[in-house]
Amino acid sequence: MLKKCTCLLLLLCILPIFGCGDQRILEDLGFIQTTSYDMLPNGELSFSVSIPQADPETSAKREVLIATAKSSKEARMIMSRQTGMLLVSGQLRNVLFGISLAENGLHGHLDTLFRDPSISSQVKISVVEGSAGELLIDDYKQHPRTGRYIDMLLEKEALGQTIPKVTLFNFARDFFDQGVDPVAPIIKKHGNNYITTNGIALFRDDRYVTKIEPQDALVFAFLKSKFREGQISIDLTEINGKKENVMFSSLISTRKVKVTRGVQGVEKVTYHVKVTGSVLEYIGDARLNNARERRELEQRISQYISKKGDAMIALMKKHQVDNLGIGTYVRNRVGYEQWKKMNWRQELQKIPVECLFDVHIKDYGKFR
Amino acid sequence: MKQKLKSIFLVSHEYSEEGQTHENQQDPNPQEDDRLTLQHIIDQFDHAADFVHKTYHNERLHVLYFSHLVNEDRLERDLLPPLLNSDTPLEPLTQQSQYEHVTDTKKCVESILDGMALFFYEDKAYLIDVIFPISRTVAESETESIIIGPHEAFTEQAYTNLSLIRKRVQSSHLKVIKLSVGEVSKSDVYVLYIQDIANENYVKEVIKRIEDIEIDAIHDANMLIQCIDDDPYSIFAQFLTTERPDTIASKLVSGRIVGIMDGSPTAFSAPVNFFEFFSSSDDYYQRWSIGTASLFLRFAALLITVTLTALYVSVTSFHYEMIPENLILTLTESRSKVPFPPIFEALLMETTIELLREAGARLPTKIGQTIGIVGGIVIGQAAVQAGLTSNILIIAVASSAIASFVIPNYVMSASFRLFRFALIVMAGLWGNMGLALGLAYIVIHLSGLTSVGASYLSPIAPFEPYDWKDVFMRLPFSALAKRPTQVKARNKVKLKMKR
Repeated sequence: MLKKCTCLLLLLCILPIFGCGDQRILEDLGFIQTTSYDMLPNGELSFSVSIPQADPETSAKREVLIATAKSSKEARMIMSRQTGMLLVSGQLRNVLFGISLAENGLHGHLDTLFRDPSISSQVKISVVEGSAGELLIDDYKQHPRTGRYIDMLLEKEALGQTIPKVTLFNFARDFFDQGVDPVAPIIKKHGNNYITTNGIALFRDDRYVTKIEPQDALVFAFLKSKFREGQISIDLTEINGKKENVMFSSLISTRKVKVTRGVQGVEKVTYHVKVTGSVLEYIGDARLNNARERRELEQRISQYISKKGDAMIALMKKHQVDNLGIGTYVRNRVGYEQWKKMNWRQELQKIPVECLFDVHIKDYGKFR
Repeated sequence: MKQKLKSIFLVSHEYSEEGQTHENQQDPNPQEDDRLTLQHIIDQFDHAADFVHKTYHNERLHVLYFSHLVNEDRLERDLLPPLLNSDTPLEPLTQQSQYEHVTDTKKCVESILDGMALFFYEDKAYLIDVIFPISRTVAESETESIIIGPHEAFTEQAYTNLSLIRKRVQSSHLKVIKLSVGEVSKSDVYVLYIQDIANENYVKEVIKRIEDIEIDAIHDANMLIQCIDDDPYSIFAQFLTTERPDTIASKLVSGRIVGIMDGSPTAFSAPVNFFEFFSSSDDYYQRWSIGTASLFLRFAALLITVTLTALYVSVTSFHYEMIPENLILTLTESRSKVPFPPIFEALLMETTIELLREAGARLPTKIGQTIGIVGGIVIGQAAVQAGLTSNILIIAVASSAIASFVIPNYVMSASFRLFRFALIVMAGLWGNMGLALGLAYIVIHLSGLTSVGASYLSPIAPFEPYDWKDVFMRLPFSALAKRPTQVKARNKVKLKMKR
């Protein structure tokens, strides 16, 4: 009896596994490393994928497949007719969207990325200024394989906070969450030589609306969340008239968002940001070893960043987007009932948002 | 049975009366025992070329013995001359204590076989103890060598082994029970335990199992333990075998039962738990932190040896998503020349490594080293260049082979090496799912095993966190005050030191 039970149990265990017969032997696979999505002027979609080549018999370092189709899975089928390898997307690292497509809304195209279980939620998403396909197809001679080059560039830049690190997970969360809109880094091709990051794309729902210039990107990072590491170059000339430049690095930034409630809903939102860092480069008249002058410099820097922050919020208000997630704080403060009644995009324009920066110079170099 | 056992514990030494009933039944002609005659004894050793029969004094004095079992020098120089001297009367000489008068043919025959010399003088038989067994001296252990600590190892001589143990456990509580196994070989087996520490139930169980063996011959303790296993079909050993007297002494003191067998340099101890096979006496001779670190290393080695090759197979044939981006290209590149699917590739290399190991074990040391070089360098390099395997697989196979030798107990490491093949096949068929299923099977199997009735996975199941500091770690001795709970010792505390 016991023997029979054991046999039955074993059989029960084994039977469902027979379904897993889809062997994927490594050398027969073409792993898509990067894909790009573009919208052509005639409304059709253009796809390209980059597949690293490992076979020592070919001299090329990667294979690029291009297809024009209505959906990404259809493009996959067209592409697979061009290659001897089985196309799989389990090693996908980067998805590039051309700006023309981003302006028309990404959701339909992101859907396949969310839905496919073999695609990691850690896939990085970025927007390409110009054509994403062109950027991906080109080889940049001084750099590694293009797919890897883009990946390394985004990874490294995100460490220094000049762009946010946006993965499929981050994007989807911000997209589906209420009171916050997604962002994505922007990259741009410069001739045949190199690629740069070029600011932060701000989305309204899934549509690209406007961008933040690369030199202001760090201010966005100050307001978005707390972080360590990063550097910012500040030109104080416009504030006090004299030529003054500060390179502020090794930043540690913490942030508090305060939502003040008034009689009718929210009265005011205040950002308190504390920034600590060391001065690596200073061109100007102040003597940093003098505590009073140093404090004045701190003041000027705070003022400067506050102004930038206010300008950024004004930009978002103008485009009716909330990429900083002010809405989530408001939602938490007022309760969900009242939040549901609000039309946040319009409400945001009425509510004053204030940025209060408190800059502290921790260290000012070897020369005292 | 209970009554019988009680008498054993009281007498404790010389436990041979038990076997006699058996032997009598075996004897074809029991009537002939009645009278002891010279002819009778000589008949018994018919066709035995090594049997010596000498006659003196006009065939009044006969001397019978096996030349290679006795000390012939002593016999000829000390014992024979007074007997041969016709001036002295023989009677007073035979009264001396070294001569033992016997009347039983059976005893005569057995004693001669044991290595005594028999004097037959005018219908009277006397035995003289001139046993000189041939044995090697106590040497260094080769299979379980350690760096710090005693280097002695057991020999094939049970008395030598007993003396090595007695030297380390100088206590009158150390009890030794002698049993006999094998209808033909009649090998002596000694069961050792420390009274007041060891649990009597386990002692009784071990003795009962050894007594119940019905077999013609047992040649080694490793063979004996397979006859008294709880689960003979398991691939895991259920008795710890060692040839180190210090290990055995520590097992005795921790309340375990030890068995040694005449003719075998291996002693065994029970009850054992799975994790004991991973501890080495080295751990206790080094400082505790180093002992703990090397314990961790060994458990890591267990994981590597069991899963690494199987993981390679499952990842390369099913789960390409798991590989980091930097590795996947090198891996694909080295796999791209290989004509086989990963499972055949892995089985091929694993079999080659096993062939090398087996060849190395059979050959003398000097040639064995050459085999290692030929196998390691020539086959390893050539197989990759010939495109038979990927070099990453060579790394996986080699490191799991090395890891298998890190496990201090050879029997256990052999079990896992065998199991590895099953896991590779599972991984090749069903990927990580198969691997998980295989590992789950091991865990289920291990938790069902027992050693002399005690749970095999002891400090984990049943859950005994106190024991963990001696099993998964090796904390300072002040923290290891209690004996393991698995042995159900009568006296639980072993350390009374105050720190």
